[in-house]
Amino acid sequence: MSENPLDKYGLNEHCNSILKQYRERLPIFEKMKSIVKKALEDSIQQNNLYINALEIRIKAEKSLAGKLELKGAKYTNLSDLTDILGARIITFYTDEVDKIAALVDHVFDIDWQNSIDKRKMHELHSFGYSSLHYICSIPKTLYYDPEHPEINEYRFELQMRTALQHVWSTIDHDMGYKTDVEIPKEYLRNMNRLAGMLELADEQFSLIRVGITDYRRKVQSLVASGKFDEVPLDGDSFSNYMKLNPFDKLNKKIAAINQAEIHDSDMTGYLKVFRFLRFKTLGDVEKMKAHFSDDAYQLAVYQIAGTDIDIINSSVAVQNLVVVYLLSNGGGELALKSMFDVLYGESDYNNKRAARMMATAKQLSFMNK
Amino acid sequence: MEIVKTKENSSLTFALEGRLDTMTAPQLEAEVNNSLEGVTDLAFDFAKLVYVSSAGLRVLLAAQKKMNKQGKMEVRNVCPEIKEVLDVTGFSDILTIV
Repeated sequence: MSENPLDKYGLNEHCNSILKQYRERLPIFEKMKSIVKKALEDSIQQNNLYINALEIRIKAEKSLAGKLELKGAKYTNLSDLTDILGARIITFYTDEVDKIAALVDHVFDIDWQNSIDKRKMHELHSFGYSSLHYICSIPKTLYYDPEHPEINEYRFELQMRTALQHVWSTIDHDMGYKTDVEIPKEYLRNMNRLAGMLELADEQFSLIRVGITDYRRKVQSLVASGKFDEVPLDGDSFSNYMKLNPFDKLNKKIAAINQAEIHDSDMTGYLKVFRFLRFKTLGDVEKMKAHFSDDAYQLAVYQIAGTDIDIINSSVAVQNLVVVYLLSNGGGELALKSMFDVLYGESDYNNKRAARMMATAKQLSFMNK
Repeated sequence: MEIVKTKENSSLTFALEGRLDTMTAPQLEAEVNNSLEGVTDLAFDFAKLVYVSSAGLRVLLAAQKKMNKQGKMEVRNVCPEIKEVLDVTGFSDILTIV
Protein backbone atom coordinates (compact mmCIF):
# COMPACT_ATOMS: atom_id res chain seq x y z
CA MET A 1 0.00 0.00 0.00
CA SER A 2 1.44 3.41 -0.98
CA GLU A 3 1.97 6.04 1.73
CA ASN A 4 -0.45 9.01 1.76
CA PRO A 5 1.71 11.92 0.48
CA LEU A 6 0.15 14.19 3.09
CA ASP A 7 1.56 12.03 5.88
CA LYS A 8 5.11 12.99 5.13
CA TYR A 9 4.88 16.08 7.38
CA GLY A 10 3.37 14.15 10.32
CA LEU A 11 0.48 16.63 10.69
CA ASN A 12 -2.88 15.92 12.30
CA GLU A 13 -6.02 15.33 10.25
CA HIS A 14 -7.21 18.93 10.52
CA CYS A 15 -3.90 20.32 9.25
CA ASN A 16 -3.76 17.70 6.51
CA SER A 17 -7.16 18.82 5.25
CA ILE A 18 -5.86 22.41 4.93
CA LEU A 19 -2.74 21.11 3.17
CA LYS A 20 -4.98 19.15 0.79
CA GLN A 21 -6.97 22.31 -0.02
CA TYR A 22 -3.66 24.08 -0.69
CA ARG A 23 -2.65 21.45 -3.25
CA GLU A 24 -6.03 21.57 -4.97
CA ARG A 25 -6.09 25.37 -5.12
CA LEU A 26 -2.53 25.92 -6.31
CA PRO A 27 -3.71 26.74 -9.88
CA ILE A 28 -6.02 29.40 -8.39
CA PHE A 29 -3.11 30.96 -6.51
CA GLU A 30 -0.97 30.81 -9.66
CA LYS A 31 -3.69 32.75 -11.49
CA MET A 32 -3.95 35.24 -8.61
CA LYS A 33 -0.18 35.66 -8.69
CA SER A 34 -0.17 36.69 -12.34
CA ILE A 35 -3.15 39.07 -11.85
CA VAL A 36 -1.58 40.75 -8.81
CA LYS A 37 1.84 41.03 -10.45
CA LYS A 38 0.47 42.62 -13.61
CA ALA A 39 -1.85 44.98 -11.73
CA LEU A 40 1.03 46.19 -9.54
CA GLU A 41 3.48 46.56 -12.42
CA ASP A 42 0.95 48.49 -14.53
CA SER A 43 -0.07 50.74 -11.69
CA ILE A 44 3.52 51.52 -10.65
CA GLN A 45 4.37 52.37 -14.25
CA GLN A 46 1.26 54.51 -14.83
CA ASN A 47 2.00 56.51 -11.69
CA ASN A 48 5.67 57.03 -12.66
CA LEU A 49 6.91 55.47 -9.44
CA TYR A 50 10.44 54.13 -9.45
CA ILE A 51 10.83 51.19 -7.12
CA ASN A 52 13.74 49.02 -6.06
CA ALA A 53 11.99 45.67 -6.48
CA LEU A 54 8.67 43.87 -6.79
CA GLU A 55 8.72 40.32 -5.46
CA ILE A 56 5.84 37.87 -5.51
CA ARG A 57 5.67 34.23 -4.46
CA ILE A 58 3.34 31.40 -3.51
CA LYS A 59 4.13 29.87 -0.15
CA ALA A 60 6.02 26.59 -0.56
CA GLU A 61 4.23 23.45 0.67
CA LYS A 62 6.99 22.66 3.15
CA SER A 63 6.78 26.15 4.61
CA LEU A 64 2.99 25.87 4.94
CA ALA A 65 3.33 22.48 6.64
CA GLY A 66 5.76 24.03 9.12
CA LYS A 67 3.33 26.84 9.86
CA LEU A 68 0.42 24.40 10.29
CA GLU A 69 2.49 22.26 12.63
CA LEU A 70 3.01 25.28 14.91
CA LYS A 71 -0.30 27.14 14.59
CA GLY A 72 -2.64 24.81 12.68
CA ALA A 73 -5.39 24.95 15.28
CA LYS A 74 -5.74 28.69 14.65
CA TYR A 75 -7.04 28.14 11.12
CA THR A 76 -10.41 26.65 10.17
CA ASN A 77 -9.60 26.34 6.50
CA LEU A 78 -7.18 27.52 3.82
CA SER A 79 -8.88 30.89 3.34
CA ASP A 80 -7.91 31.86 6.92
CA LEU A 81 -4.29 31.86 5.84
CA THR A 82 -3.59 35.23 4.25
CA ASP A 83 -0.02 34.66 3.18
CA ILE A 84 -0.33 31.74 0.74
CA LEU A 85 0.23 34.39 -1.89
CA GLY A 86 2.62 37.11 -0.81
CA ALA A 87 3.97 40.15 -2.64
CA ARG A 88 6.56 42.67 -1.58
CA ILE A 89 7.30 46.09 -2.97
CA ILE A 90 10.64 47.57 -1.99
CA THR A 91 11.03 51.32 -2.44
CA PHE A 92 14.05 53.58 -2.21
CA TYR A 93 12.49 56.26 -0.02
CA THR A 94 10.20 56.23 3.02
CA ASP A 95 7.67 58.63 1.51
CA GLU A 96 7.32 56.30 -1.46
CA VAL A 97 6.04 53.53 0.84
CA ASP A 98 3.02 55.75 1.49
CA LYS A 99 2.59 56.48 -2.21
CA ILE A 100 2.70 52.76 -2.98
CA ALA A 101 0.21 52.11 -0.16
CA ALA A 102 -2.22 54.65 -1.66
CA LEU A 103 -1.84 52.99 -5.03
CA VAL A 104 -2.41 49.51 -3.57
CA ASP A 105 -5.53 50.81 -1.83
CA HIS A 106 -6.75 52.00 -5.20
CA VAL A 107 -6.05 48.73 -7.05
CA PHE A 108 -7.08 46.07 -4.49
CA ASP A 109 -9.67 45.60 -1.75
CA ILE A 110 -7.95 45.96 1.63
CA ASP A 111 -8.91 44.00 4.72
CA TRP A 112 -8.25 46.89 7.11
CA GLN A 113 -8.98 44.84 10.21
CA ASN A 114 -6.05 42.57 9.51
CA SER A 115 -3.66 45.05 7.88
CA ILE A 116 -0.96 46.54 10.05
CA ASP A 117 1.43 49.40 9.84
CA LYS A 118 4.32 47.87 11.72
CA ARG A 119 6.21 51.09 11.21
CA LYS A 120 3.98 52.70 13.84
CA MET A 121 4.05 49.81 16.27
CA HIS A 122 7.49 50.44 17.73
CA GLU A 123 7.56 51.99 21.15
CA LEU A 124 10.62 53.66 22.63
CA HIS A 125 12.26 50.43 23.71
CA SER A 126 10.85 48.13 21.08
CA PHE A 127 12.86 46.04 18.73
CA GLY A 128 12.94 46.21 14.97
CA TYR A 129 12.49 48.31 11.95
CA SER A 130 9.69 46.90 9.91
CA SER A 131 7.25 47.61 7.19
CA LEU A 132 3.67 48.18 6.14
CA HIS A 133 1.59 45.01 5.67
CA TYR A 134 -1.74 44.99 3.87
CA ILE A 135 -4.06 42.04 3.57
CA CYS A 136 -5.72 42.37 0.19
CA SER A 137 -8.08 40.66 -2.21
CA ILE A 138 -8.65 41.04 -5.92
CA PRO A 139 -11.75 43.18 -6.62
CA LYS A 140 -14.19 41.98 -9.25
CA THR A 141 -13.60 45.22 -11.12
CA LEU A 142 -9.99 44.12 -11.67
CA TYR A 143 -10.66 40.47 -12.55
CA TYR A 144 -13.70 38.24 -12.46
CA ASP A 145 -14.22 34.70 -13.68
CA PRO A 146 -17.67 33.27 -12.71
CA GLU A 147 -16.17 29.76 -12.82
CA HIS A 148 -13.55 30.72 -10.23
CA PRO A 149 -15.13 33.15 -7.76
CA GLU A 150 -12.48 32.12 -5.20
CA ILE A 151 -9.99 34.31 -7.08
CA ASN A 152 -11.83 37.26 -5.53
CA GLU A 153 -12.28 35.53 -2.18
CA TYR A 154 -8.80 34.37 -1.20
CA ARG A 155 -6.75 37.07 0.45
CA PHE A 156 -3.07 37.73 -0.02
CA GLU A 157 -0.43 39.66 1.85
CA LEU A 158 1.34 42.69 0.46
CA GLN A 159 4.38 44.11 2.21
CA MET A 160 5.67 47.57 1.44
CA ARG A 161 9.02 48.68 2.74
CA THR A 162 12.10 50.70 1.97
CA ALA A 163 15.35 49.07 0.88
CA LEU A 164 16.80 49.70 4.35
CA GLN A 165 13.75 48.21 6.06
CA HIS A 166 14.27 45.23 3.77
CA VAL A 167 17.89 44.92 4.85
CA TRP A 168 16.79 44.97 8.48
CA SER A 169 14.07 42.43 7.89
CA THR A 170 16.33 40.05 5.97
CA ILE A 171 19.07 40.11 8.60
CA ASP A 172 16.51 39.88 11.40
CA HIS A 173 14.97 36.83 9.73
CA ASP A 174 18.42 35.27 9.31
CA MET A 175 19.07 35.61 13.06
CA GLY A 176 15.94 33.65 13.87
CA TYR A 177 14.57 35.72 16.77
CA LYS A 178 10.88 36.49 16.59
CA THR A 179 10.64 38.96 19.50
CA ASP A 180 12.93 41.07 21.66
CA VAL A 181 12.22 38.71 24.55
CA GLU A 182 14.16 35.96 22.77
CA ILE A 183 17.24 37.95 21.82
CA PRO A 184 20.14 37.84 24.32
CA LYS A 185 20.24 41.15 26.19
CA GLU A 186 23.88 41.86 25.31
CA TYR A 187 22.89 42.02 21.62
CA LEU A 188 19.54 43.75 22.05
CA ARG A 189 21.07 47.20 22.63
CA ASN A 190 23.19 46.98 19.48
CA MET A 191 20.25 45.74 17.43
CA ASN A 192 18.17 48.69 18.62
CA ARG A 193 21.00 51.10 17.78
CA LEU A 194 21.14 49.66 14.27
CA ALA A 195 17.36 49.89 13.85
CA GLY A 196 17.49 53.55 14.91
CA MET A 197 20.39 54.22 12.57
CA LEU A 198 18.56 52.70 9.59
CA GLU A 199 15.44 54.71 10.39
CA LEU A 200 17.50 57.90 10.59
CA ALA A 201 19.30 57.00 7.34
CA ASP A 202 15.95 56.45 5.59
CA GLU A 203 14.71 59.80 6.87
CA GLN A 204 17.91 61.56 5.75
CA PHE A 205 17.77 60.00 2.28
CA SER A 206 14.21 61.34 1.90
CA LEU A 207 15.23 64.80 3.15
CA ILE A 208 18.21 64.87 0.77
CA ARG A 209 15.96 63.95 -2.12
CA VAL A 210 13.46 66.66 -1.24
CA GLY A 211 16.34 69.16 -0.97
CA ILE A 212 17.78 68.15 -4.35
CA THR A 213 14.37 68.38 -6.01
CA ASP A 214 13.86 71.90 -4.58
CA TYR A 215 17.36 72.94 -5.69
CA ARG A 216 16.76 71.64 -9.23
CA ARG A 217 13.49 73.55 -9.48
CA LYS A 218 15.19 76.74 -8.29
CA VAL A 219 18.08 76.31 -10.76
CA GLN A 220 15.68 75.57 -13.58
CA SER A 221 13.76 78.75 -12.86
CA LEU A 222 16.93 80.92 -12.56
CA VAL A 223 18.34 79.52 -15.81
CA ALA A 224 15.02 80.00 -17.60
CA SER A 225 14.87 83.62 -16.42
CA GLY A 226 18.45 84.26 -17.59
CA LYS A 227 19.83 85.10 -14.13
CA PHE A 228 23.06 83.25 -14.92
CA ASP A 229 25.25 85.10 -12.40
CA GLU A 230 23.11 83.71 -9.59
CA VAL A 231 23.42 80.08 -10.72
CA PRO A 232 26.34 78.06 -9.34
CA LEU A 233 28.02 75.91 -11.97
CA ASP A 234 27.26 72.23 -11.31
CA GLY A 235 25.85 69.19 -13.06
CA ASP A 236 22.23 70.25 -12.65
CA SER A 237 22.68 73.86 -13.67
CA PHE A 238 24.92 72.95 -16.61
CA SER A 239 22.42 70.43 -17.91
CA ASN A 240 19.59 73.00 -17.66
CA TYR A 241 21.81 75.59 -19.32
CA MET A 242 22.63 73.27 -22.21
CA LYS A 243 18.90 72.87 -22.88
CA LEU A 244 18.95 76.54 -23.92
CA ASN A 245 21.45 75.61 -26.68
CA PRO A 246 23.81 78.40 -25.62
CA PHE A 247 26.46 77.64 -28.26
CA ASP A 248 24.06 77.18 -31.19
CA LYS A 249 24.61 80.64 -32.66
CA LEU A 250 28.39 80.26 -32.78
CA ASN A 251 28.16 76.68 -34.06
CA LYS A 252 25.88 77.77 -36.90
CA LYS A 253 28.27 80.59 -37.79
CA ILE A 254 31.20 78.15 -37.83
CA ALA A 255 29.22 75.58 -39.85
CA ALA A 256 28.38 78.26 -42.41
CA ILE A 257 32.11 78.57 -43.26
CA ASN A 258 31.88 75.33 -45.28
CA GLN A 259 28.08 74.93 -45.39
CA ALA A 260 28.64 72.09 -42.94
CA GLU A 261 26.13 69.91 -41.15
CA ILE A 262 26.17 70.12 -37.32
CA HIS A 263 26.02 66.87 -35.39
CA ASP A 264 24.52 67.41 -31.93
CA SER A 265 26.25 65.58 -29.13
CA ASP A 266 26.32 65.57 -25.37
CA MET A 267 28.68 68.24 -24.03
CA THR A 268 28.63 67.32 -20.34
CA GLY A 269 32.42 66.77 -20.55
CA TYR A 270 32.94 70.54 -20.82
CA LEU A 271 31.67 71.01 -17.26
CA LYS A 272 35.06 69.60 -16.14
CA VAL A 273 36.78 72.10 -18.41
CA PHE A 274 34.82 75.04 -16.97
CA ARG A 275 35.76 73.89 -13.48
CA PHE A 276 39.39 73.71 -14.63
CA LEU A 277 38.98 77.33 -15.76
CA ARG A 278 37.68 78.06 -12.23
CA PHE A 279 34.30 79.25 -13.47
CA LYS A 280 31.95 79.57 -10.51
CA THR A 281 28.62 80.40 -12.12
CA LEU A 282 26.83 80.06 -15.45
CA GLY A 283 27.39 83.80 -15.68
CA ASP A 284 31.13 83.08 -16.15
CA VAL A 285 30.30 80.87 -19.15
CA GLU A 286 28.05 83.58 -20.58
CA LYS A 287 30.78 86.20 -20.15
CA MET A 288 33.28 83.97 -21.97
CA LYS A 289 30.78 83.59 -24.79
CA ALA A 290 30.10 87.32 -24.99
CA HIS A 291 33.78 88.33 -25.01
CA PHE A 292 35.40 85.63 -27.12
CA SER A 293 32.87 84.40 -29.71
CA ASP A 294 34.38 86.46 -32.53
CA ASP A 295 37.89 85.18 -31.85
CA ALA A 296 36.62 81.59 -31.49
CA TYR A 297 35.00 82.01 -34.90
CA GLN A 298 38.26 83.31 -36.40
CA LEU A 299 40.05 80.25 -35.02
CA ALA A 300 37.49 77.98 -36.72
CA VAL A 301 37.85 79.87 -40.01
CA TYR A 302 41.61 79.31 -39.89
CA GLN A 303 41.14 75.61 -39.12
CA ILE A 304 38.46 74.59 -41.59
CA ALA A 305 38.03 77.23 -44.30
CA GLY A 306 40.73 75.67 -46.48
CA THR A 307 39.39 72.14 -46.11
CA ASP A 308 36.50 70.18 -47.62
CA ILE A 309 35.07 69.39 -44.18
CA ASP A 310 31.28 69.62 -44.30
CA ILE A 311 30.34 68.08 -40.95
CA ILE A 312 31.21 69.35 -37.48
CA ASN A 313 30.29 68.28 -34.00
CA SER A 314 28.37 70.69 -31.75
CA SER A 315 31.36 70.85 -29.39
CA VAL A 316 33.45 72.89 -31.86
CA ALA A 317 32.13 76.27 -30.66
CA VAL A 318 32.68 75.63 -26.99
CA GLN A 319 36.11 74.08 -27.57
CA ASN A 320 37.27 77.07 -29.59
CA LEU A 321 35.86 79.44 -26.97
CA VAL A 322 37.79 77.67 -24.22
CA VAL A 323 41.03 77.75 -26.25
CA VAL A 324 40.69 81.47 -26.98
CA TYR A 325 39.70 82.21 -23.37
CA LEU A 326 42.76 80.38 -22.03
CA LEU A 327 45.23 82.02 -24.41
CA SER A 328 43.68 85.48 -24.03
CA ASN A 329 44.04 85.22 -20.27
CA GLY A 330 47.77 84.59 -20.36
CA GLY A 331 47.70 80.80 -20.74
CA GLY A 332 50.18 79.13 -23.05
CA GLU A 333 50.91 75.71 -24.48
CA LEU A 334 51.11 74.17 -21.02
CA ALA A 335 47.68 75.52 -20.08
CA LEU A 336 46.25 74.15 -23.32
CA LYS A 337 47.81 70.73 -22.62
CA SER A 338 46.30 70.73 -19.11
CA MET A 339 42.90 71.63 -20.55
CA PHE A 340 43.11 68.80 -23.10
CA ASP A 341 44.16 66.43 -20.28
CA VAL A 342 40.98 67.41 -18.42
CA LEU A 343 38.82 67.00 -21.51
CA TYR A 344 40.25 63.85 -23.09
CA GLY A 345 42.27 62.29 -20.26
CA GLU A 346 46.03 62.57 -19.88
CA SER A 347 48.09 61.56 -22.89
CA ASP A 348 51.33 62.47 -24.66
CA TYR A 349 49.28 63.32 -27.71
CA ASN A 350 47.80 66.28 -25.80
CA ASN A 351 51.28 67.90 -25.97
CA LYS A 352 51.09 67.73 -29.78
CA ARG A 353 47.48 68.92 -29.73
CA ALA A 354 48.45 71.90 -27.58
CA ALA A 355 51.50 72.70 -29.75
CA ARG A 356 49.41 72.57 -32.92
CA MET A 357 46.69 74.76 -31.40
CA MET A 358 49.30 77.24 -30.15
CA ALA A 359 50.89 77.44 -33.61
CA THR A 360 47.46 78.07 -35.16
CA ALA A 361 46.50 80.69 -32.56
CA LYS A 362 49.72 82.62 -33.15
CA GLN A 363 48.50 83.33 -36.66
CA LEU A 364 45.39 85.04 -35.32
CA SER A 365 44.82 88.61 -34.22
CA PHE A 366 43.53 87.87 -30.69
CA MET A 367 47.00 86.69 -29.68
CA ASN A 368 48.39 90.09 -30.48
CA LYS A 369 45.75 92.23 -28.72
CA MET B 1 40.88 51.58 -49.90
CA GLU B 2 41.49 48.13 -48.54
CA ILE B 3 39.41 46.81 -45.66
CA VAL B 4 40.60 43.85 -43.61
CA LYS B 5 37.93 42.52 -41.30
CA THR B 6 38.89 40.41 -38.27
CA LYS B 7 36.22 38.89 -36.07
CA GLU B 8 36.83 37.13 -32.79
CA ASN B 9 33.73 36.18 -30.80
CA SER B 10 31.88 39.48 -30.28
CA SER B 11 34.91 41.64 -31.18
CA LEU B 12 35.26 43.05 -34.66
CA THR B 13 38.13 45.05 -36.13
CA PHE B 14 38.24 46.88 -39.45
CA ALA B 15 41.81 47.59 -40.50
CA LEU B 16 41.74 50.27 -43.20
CA GLU B 17 44.45 51.06 -45.72
CA GLY B 18 44.54 54.07 -48.04
CA ARG B 19 41.98 56.89 -48.14
CA LEU B 20 38.54 56.95 -46.54
CA ASP B 21 36.82 59.47 -48.78
CA THR B 22 33.65 60.02 -50.83
CA MET B 23 34.61 57.18 -53.16
CA THR B 24 35.48 54.58 -50.54
CA ALA B 25 33.19 55.52 -47.62
CA PRO B 26 30.12 53.68 -49.09
CA GLN B 27 32.19 50.45 -49.22
CA LEU B 28 33.04 50.76 -45.52
CA GLU B 29 29.47 51.78 -44.68
CA ALA B 30 28.13 48.61 -46.34
CA GLU B 31 30.70 46.45 -44.54
CA VAL B 32 29.82 48.02 -41.18
CA ASN B 33 26.07 47.71 -41.72
CA ASN B 34 26.40 44.03 -42.60
CA SER B 35 28.71 43.09 -39.77
CA LEU B 36 27.55 44.67 -36.51
CA GLU B 37 24.98 42.10 -35.38
CA GLY B 38 26.10 40.63 -32.07
CA VAL B 39 29.24 42.76 -31.97
CA THR B 40 30.01 44.34 -28.60
CA ASP B 41 33.55 45.57 -29.28
CA LEU B 42 34.16 47.37 -32.54
CA ALA B 43 37.54 48.81 -33.52
CA PHE B 44 38.80 50.71 -36.53
CA ASP B 45 42.54 50.33 -37.06
CA PHE B 46 43.82 53.42 -38.92
CA ALA B 47 47.51 52.37 -38.89
CA LYS B 48 47.62 52.35 -42.71
CA LEU B 49 44.97 55.01 -43.33
CA VAL B 50 46.28 58.35 -44.61
CA TYR B 51 43.14 60.45 -45.11
CA VAL B 52 39.56 60.79 -43.84
CA SER B 53 37.02 63.04 -45.53
CA SER B 54 33.62 64.17 -44.20
CA ALA B 55 32.03 61.12 -45.86
CA GLY B 56 34.35 58.94 -43.78
CA LEU B 57 33.49 60.89 -40.64
CA ARG B 58 29.80 60.20 -41.29
CA VAL B 59 30.45 56.44 -41.49
CA LEU B 60 32.38 56.59 -38.20
CA LEU B 61 29.57 58.60 -36.61
CA ALA B 62 26.89 56.13 -37.74
CA ALA B 63 28.97 53.22 -36.41
CA GLN B 64 29.49 55.02 -33.09
CA LYS B 65 25.73 55.62 -32.74
CA LYS B 66 25.02 51.93 -33.31
CA MET B 67 27.73 50.82 -30.90
CA ASN B 68 26.46 53.21 -28.20
CA LYS B 69 23.42 50.91 -28.09
CA GLN B 70 25.22 47.57 -28.15
CA GLY B 71 28.75 47.95 -26.82
CA LYS B 72 31.80 50.11 -27.39
CA MET B 73 33.88 51.40 -30.27
CA GLU B 74 37.50 52.50 -30.55
CA VAL B 75 39.56 54.13 -33.28
CA ARG B 76 43.17 52.97 -33.08
CA ASN B 77 46.57 53.99 -34.47
CA VAL B 78 45.42 57.31 -35.90
CA CYS B 79 48.09 59.32 -37.77
CA PRO B 80 48.65 63.00 -36.79
CA GLU B 81 46.97 64.34 -39.94
CA ILE B 82 43.74 62.45 -39.29
CA LYS B 83 43.90 63.33 -35.58
CA GLU B 84 43.95 66.97 -36.59
CA VAL B 85 40.79 66.47 -38.68
CA LEU B 86 39.10 64.76 -35.74
CA ASP B 87 40.13 67.62 -33.44
CA VAL B 88 39.01 70.54 -35.60
CA THR B 89 35.66 68.92 -36.37
CA GLY B 90 35.02 68.15 -32.70
CA PHE B 91 34.86 64.42 -33.51
CA SER B 92 37.50 63.79 -30.83
CA ASP B 93 34.68 64.56 -28.38
CA ILE B 94 32.51 61.78 -29.83
CA LEU B 95 34.97 59.03 -30.71
CA THR B 96 37.23 57.06 -28.42
CA ILE B 97 40.67 57.46 -29.97
CA VAL B 98 43.36 55.21 -28.55
